[in-house]
Amino acid sequence: MALELKPKKWPGTIRTVTLGGGRRRTLAVGGGNALPLHAFEGSFPHRPLLALEITDTAPGRWPAAATEPWQGVLGQPAAAARRAVEGYGADLVMLHLAGTHPDRGNRSPDDAVADVRAVLDAVPVPLIVRGPGAGRKQNDVLARVAEACGGEGLVLHSACQEDYRTLAAVAVAYGHVLVAESPIDMNIAKQLNILLADASVDLNRVLIDPLTGGLGYGLEYTYSVMQRIRLAALGGDPMLNAPVVCLAGEEAWKAKEAAVPRDKEPLWGDERTRGINWEVATALPLVEAGAEIVVLRHPEALARLRRQLDGWFAETNRGVA
Amino acid sequence: MPLTGLQIFKLLPNTNCRKCGYATCLAFAMKLAAGREALEKCPDASEEARAALGAASSPPIRGVTVGRGPRAITVGEETVFFRHEKTFVRRPGLFALLDAKGLSAAELDARLDQWRDTRIERAGETFQIDGVAVAEVPGSPEVGVKAAVAAAERGLPVAVLAATAEGAAAMAEKIKDQRPLLAPPAHAPDGLYANLAARLAIPLVVSARDLPGLAAAAVAAAHAGVADILLEPPGADLRALHHSLTAIRRGALDRIHPGLGHPVFLRVGAGEFEKAVLGIAKFASLLVLPGYGGENWLPLWTLRQNIYTDPQKPLQVQPGLYSIGEPHAGSPLLVTSNFSLTYFMVATEVEATGLACHLAVVDAEGLSVLTAWSAGKFSGERVAKNLRQMEAAARVKHRTVIIPGYVSVISGELEDALGEGWRVLVGPQEASDLAPFFKDVWSAIGAG
Repeated sequence: MALELKPKKWPGTIRTVTLGGGRRRTLAVGGGNALPLHAFEGSFPHRPLLALEITDTAPGRWPAAATEPWQGVLGQPAAAARRAVEGYGADLVMLHLAGTHPDRGNRSPDDAVADVRAVLDAVPVPLIVRGPGAGRKQNDVLARVAEACGGEGLVLHSACQEDYRTLAAVAVAYGHVLVAESPIDMNIAKQLNILLADASVDLNRVLIDPLTGGLGYGLEYTYSVMQRIRLAALGGDPMLNAPVVCLAGEEAWKAKEAAVPRDKEPLWGDERTRGINWEVATALPLVEAGAEIVVLRHPEALARLRRQLDGWFAETNRGVA
Repeated sequence: MPLTGLQIFKLLPNTNCRKCGYATCLAFAMKLAAGREALEKCPDASEEARAALGAASSPPIRGVTVGRGPRAITVGEETVFFRHEKTFVRRPGLFALLDAKGLSAAELDARLDQWRDTRIERAGETFQIDGVAVAEVPGSPEVGVKAAVAAAERGLPVAVLAATAEGAAAMAEKIKDQRPLLAPPAHAPDGLYANLAARLAIPLVVSARDLPGLAAAAVAAAHAGVADILLEPPGADLRALHHSLTAIRRGALDRIHPGLGHPVFLRVGAGEFEKAVLGIAKFASLLVLPGYGGENWLPLWTLRQNIYTDPQKPLQVQPGLYSIGEPHAGSPLLVTSNFSLTYFMVATEVEATGLACHLAVVDAEGLSVLTAWSAGKFSGERVAKNLRQMEAAARVKHRTVIIPGYVSVISGELEDALGEGWRVLVGPQEASDLAPFFKDVWSAIGAG
């Protein structure tokens, strides 16, 4: 009996979004026309990107294994960004302005602009800027950064359904990419993109953040919602076919399993390797479910994922080189 | 290929006799097609209809059991490509590789005892090493035999990783009553091992250089009399492996070839953690893991737990009073819902603050706090009743309870329901803001 495997063709294609621009190096994501990683039946003009997270102030709650690669540059965004790109091979960098949170230092929007500028001067790659989180301060900080860094093609993380107008307006006005965040909910992800389109945002300048549940802490919810979003997108839904970004590192290193030392839980093994494995086992399923950008914390996790993806996207890599 | 409602309808008597409980044969056929009814409800169905429906409703992927007794493991029987379509049903077996070469008898016993006894409880599941994959030691066949017997004696399911047909026979023969899985070396000649597996009535792994070869090998093994087959997919790197895994599952569900309807077997080498991650997410049913410590097992067990959770059921935590750290009578008392995502989030954040707490997990029927409140499952009355049931008052000397910021509206009702002396403190909306809350609000009121 002959074995006939027909490739599966889809009507839809993921949008291509270009990050960076102007004097900055550009990177494109998206453009695939088959299920994620299904290179055998579709084309993927761009391989998924691997970012490293750096912070404006020394992070308070990263386990030792996650801070160790950043010794000497913690809370120094420019130096950390250089290390991320030149030392660790990150495709791009996410600067988390955690210290602007009212409860975590309350740094001003001007401080944030200075940090972003320092990073932009330090590295030529596109930059994701993550605000302090939902609320007024989020808008104050990200709007100021967007205005001060017009033309850099920043990725602003993030706008949500309840509060998107300010960031939509500055993203359009200053040419940035906007991340639309939804709480592990396909309907809200779609609704928010409709709202953004109504607010004159070009959906070719939008990324979806479906909200990441880390391994053991809701990964399966994110995984399945991403698969459903991708099925809808490939089915032709123009409101769900944005590339997806996942903050895998942040969620992975939050888990107690990534932090508890071996002497407290002998069966759990070495905590450093365990933590990096936790990050890899969070990130790889997310890539397989459709993440086009994965933000990580540990350079070893990045190197291990990079090894796999480089093989996977060998033709793509040759194409862009 | 499953039959459509109309195809089934043509096989029914079309008398609309209602004996099945439906008004028409067509309505019944539609239910049959959706898998929501059984043909037995139609007393007048012809033999032809039974045969056609029986063939179409046999599971697209057969179940295979390895081992005997309480730790026997059954894999396969999956019916969907995406877990959200229904659920994945059979958690893949994670077997530990045992190379007994150079181990003393005492070392072998110690290792197997440790594997047998390893147990980690996590979110309602017990993680265990599901079985032992005993490698044949070329040149010293008795070493592998001893190890296989020792593992089987401990009740652990065994996979025999053969290097030679003679070695395989020696190992498998000794423990054949424990239903070991026979895994020949890659690309072993057809027939040799199939005859052995058929004779011993044990499950067999088949492999090939490509998918058509693999499907053909499975059919050949079945013809040789092997009842239970696992497929070892070809793939030199993750990309090729992913292609194989995807094609096998898709081909099995679409029933394009009878050789694909079997569970998948995957060997993971040292330094191939990513392969194990991909295999667990993508359809592998039995994995052999190398000499791993907990730093590798724990994330893989947890990933399996996540992927094989039934997405149709809200994940719930057992309601009750949980200790985060080692709380005393002066530690804060927090209330949250028993939706596991909420519970995990709150527990993790509380732990990160470094302050020990009593966490009262209220029975909110597995809904998140806000949803539960809108559904009347997180009312002041209900929270108070839960707190009384778990005897929270006996655990703290203060009379202060902290509720999630999203449900500040219940504070009055809760205070009334709890009665004299109790005070309700409205906490932050997000658990991630607990640290500043403890620092600024909790320490200021001096309840502890």
